[in-house]
Amino acid sequence: MADLVLQNLTIKYGAVTAVDNLNIHVASGEFLTLLGPSGCGKSTSLFAVAGLNHATSGTISVGDRVLFDGNPNNTVPPEKRNIGLVFQSYALWPHKTVAENLAFPLTLRKIGRAERDERIKEALGLVEMLPYADRYPFELSGGQQQRVALARALVYRPPLLLLDEPLSNLDAKLRERARVWLRELQERLNVTTIYVTHDQAEALAVSDRIAVMSMGRMRQLGTPREIYERPADSFVADFIGSSNFFDGTMVESGTDSARIRLADGGEIVTPPGPTGKDGSVVVAIRPEKIELTGSTGPNTMRVSIEQRTYLGSVWQYAVRSGPIEFRIQTPSELKEDSILVRIPQEHCAVFPDKPGAN
Amino acid sequence: MTDISHPGTAGRGIDRSRAIYWGVAALTTILVFGPITPIIFQAFLDKPLYDNTAVLTLGNFGRLFSEPGMAGIFFNTLYFGALTMVVAQVFGAVMAVLVGRTNLPGRKWLGEIFIWPLFVSNLVIAFGWFTMYGPSGFMTLAAKTYLGGAPWNLYTVTGMGIVAGLSQAPLTYLMCLAAVTKADPLLEDAARSTGAGPFRALFSVTIPMIRPAIIYSAVLNFVVGIEMLAIPLLFGGPSGIQTVTTFLYNAGINAAVRPEYGIVGAAAVILLVVVAFLVWLQGFLMKGAGRFVTVRGKASRPSTLDLGAWRWPAFLFVFAFAFLTIISIFGGIFMRSAVSFLTPLIPFWKVLTTANFEQVLGSATYVRSIVNSVLVATIGAAIGTFFILVIALVARRSDFKHSRALEYIALFPRALPGIIAGLGFFYAVIWLPGADVIRGTIAVLILAFMIRYIPVGFGAIAPALAQVGEELDRGARISGADWWTTMTRIIVPILKPALFSCYALLFIHFFKEYVTAAFLYQPGSEIIGTTMLQLVAQGDNGPVSALATIQVVITAAFVLLARRVMGARIYG
Ligand SMILES: Nc1ncnc2c1ncn2[C@@H]1O[C@H](COP(=O)(O)OP(=O)(O)O)[C@@H](O)[C@H]1O
Ligand SMILES: [Mg+2]
Repeated sequence: MADLVLQNLTIKYGAVTAVDNLNIHVASGEFLTLLGPSGCGKSTSLFAVAGLNHATSGTISVGDRVLFDGNPNNTVPPEKRNIGLVFQSYALWPHKTVAENLAFPLTLRKIGRAERDERIKEALGLVEMLPYADRYPFELSGGQQQRVALARALVYRPPLLLLDEPLSNLDAKLRERARVWLRELQERLNVTTIYVTHDQAEALAVSDRIAVMSMGRMRQLGTPREIYERPADSFVADFIGSSNFFDGTMVESGTDSARIRLADGGEIVTPPGPTGKDGSVVVAIRPEKIELTGSTGPNTMRVSIEQRTYLGSVWQYAVRSGPIEFRIQTPSELKEDSILVRIPQEHCAVFPDKPGAN
Repeated sequence: MTDISHPGTAGRGIDRSRAIYWGVAALTTILVFGPITPIIFQAFLDKPLYDNTAVLTLGNFGRLFSEPGMAGIFFNTLYFGALTMVVAQVFGAVMAVLVGRTNLPGRKWLGEIFIWPLFVSNLVIAFGWFTMYGPSGFMTLAAKTYLGGAPWNLYTVTGMGIVAGLSQAPLTYLMCLAAVTKADPLLEDAARSTGAGPFRALFSVTIPMIRPAIIYSAVLNFVVGIEMLAIPLLFGGPSGIQTVTTFLYNAGINAAVRPEYGIVGAAAVILLVVVAFLVWLQGFLMKGAGRFVTVRGKASRPSTLDLGAWRWPAFLFVFAFAFLTIISIFGGIFMRSAVSFLTPLIPFWKVLTTANFEQVLGSATYVRSIVNSVLVATIGAAIGTFFILVIALVARRSDFKHSRALEYIALFPRALPGIIAGLGFFYAVIWLPGADVIRGTIAVLILAFMIRYIPVGFGAIAPALAQVGEELDRGARISGADWWTTMTRIIVPILKPALFSCYALLFIHFFKEYVTAAFLYQPGSEIIGTTMLQLVAQGDNGPVSALATIQVVITAAFVLLARRVMGARIYG
């Protein structure tokens, strides 16, 4: 098994910078997810690791082996990288049976017949597809194709496994089961894995660490908890889960707290944070962290309920205090038209600008 | 699980993929420019190419234009090309709409008949027209006898243009048919739901959708007209009408007697420039026309337009076209081959004979030309398919940095008229060191035909290649296969049906080709086309019709076989 190190990886297509100065160290056996909206450069980064597209500059290395360092003479072609890759479309070869699909990489490695059959059996067993060895890909369901694609990527026991949105073509229920199963398999094999997805719930569920990307740049790298609870900027706060954003101005900033005046004239206490040039800030708070309270005090607000939405497990309300509109969630239904809410200081985050502003 | 050795360390040798990229690029460049370069040189040299004392000059162009009758030749060529185009477009497009979109009776078998002419050379077709509608042709005599006169005369530029246009209509038909049947019937339904009548809907929605096909085939037919040899040679020859092609042909063939290298070179360069411009114009006009409407679209059954009371008049019109310009032409050739003298005035069975076939099969030269044609087509199409396949793979599926340039070069022969390809190869085998060994063999014919028809084969392979997702290559690469292994083990097996189609198309084109071979064959390497050209010049119509019949029969057998056994898609 091996570490994967990306240093200053930059990939440009003409004037478009698809990946901008990416630095990630993936530890041996780690499950790391690249997460971000469509078009943010996840697949481009992944394919650069595989050698299937040309990075512009930076270095890529696995263990002590340099795969790319900007010098064309040192670039290792994809077929010599010994990496497993699962495509979003699975890319099973339609003219080969399941077993033949798995045999191809082994034949290329000049592995003898007996061992080859052994390994194919083992890999198909891992993904529970042994009975389908002689089927052609078009005779399989989407979920089965996805598992065969995974078996094909694992059959030659690569130290590094790359997965490009492997579950996105499955239906929702199957997707949830598949991700649990995938993570178990990865832990069992202890293979270093990079997983690409635009689905934040999926990323939170399976990853050791998540790299959140936007417009070619990495915004934050951390464990699912860190990403969710301490987003590095308003983009991450907005993209992972969902957040309310309050415009405000910094009144007073201390070492472990700050006072911020909101647009309705009230003030709240928050953790300290960076401010914009003119002292303006945004305060982010997740709807489910806002509490109902019976008595006024610091960080409380009287709001009127403007809209009620039943979401099944929770109720969501659009509420308003003067010019400020935001959402809150409660487990049970509220009958009142006007309620008192508290914005817990410890769940607030302060950023200099709103998501999409930069 | 433990890591296993990197496949790279197994030592696959130095990068063979790159060697293939450069090898194919070099070979294609040499083969495409090999025949063009000597022609261009010759156009600017005052003495024959191989004469070391030759110096550069512009005099050839001056001599060409001061040659008496030259202006007339250029005018004839353009007028002939334009007329060919107009006639072919009008008939081809009308037939395509009637067969493709209406409830015309018999549209299925009529549609089959319309593509027959595409399988045979225009030398065969021209001979068929001569047999039926020439001055003493079957139809001409019949019209004179029973109707009191035959109002046509093929021995004028207008007559030639109409014949060429009618014989090219199937090409327009084929291209428009593809567009017309792929056109989304929903759009037409939408037009009808807004209150347009069925004819109105057809004209306002469907016709504009086939406009790209019409523009594309219009330029194509103009080019075909300009570079056509058979019709001007057969019909213009007796009355002294020349086009650039027949001028080049006569001057080139007679070059031994009258050394006119310079003028020939100059005329060839002018023809080349004109055709290259037209091909460029075609690409320019197609830009923004949605490339080729034909490829897209679901395989939905297009709605058919009810012709109502016009069904039978329309049928009569379409059938008359098919009968007079296709069935009677083929029929005339077959009939002529079986009689000693074809005329409506003597009952057919009184002149029946096997003499024409006996004459052909009794002559070693004629038999050899048949054998050579079959060899050139079978072997040449196989080599050609392989070569074009590799070009397509490098151009479309590799990281070769000059892949686009390679594709441009490979497709350049679209702008290379057959007569110039032939002339160029003729010069090249003299001019290029070492090329002399293949002079006068069928190898040079295969090479010349192959170059000429790279675009045809490419057109059969490239769309199929585009259907194969790039992830299949990527999956193979990351599994440990280098580029060449990926192509041969993953992509080529998937392309098999397209390769059969490519082979079949090349076979048909190689088998019917004659113009390109006109300067290249020597005793021993004759093919059916060149032998027919010779016999036509001598007025030996009996053996010509027998040879033409044999050519048609072999082609028909091959087409049947290719469609049934190989499942090849040839023209629909
Ligand atoms: N071959 C290419 N040529 C030009 N632009 C590309 C190419 N591949 C990707 N891009 C651009 O790079 C950006 C990132 O793409 P991608 O990595 O596919 O995004 P995603 O995060 O959805 O996987 C996009 O803006 C895309 O348009
Ligand atoms: Mg992607």
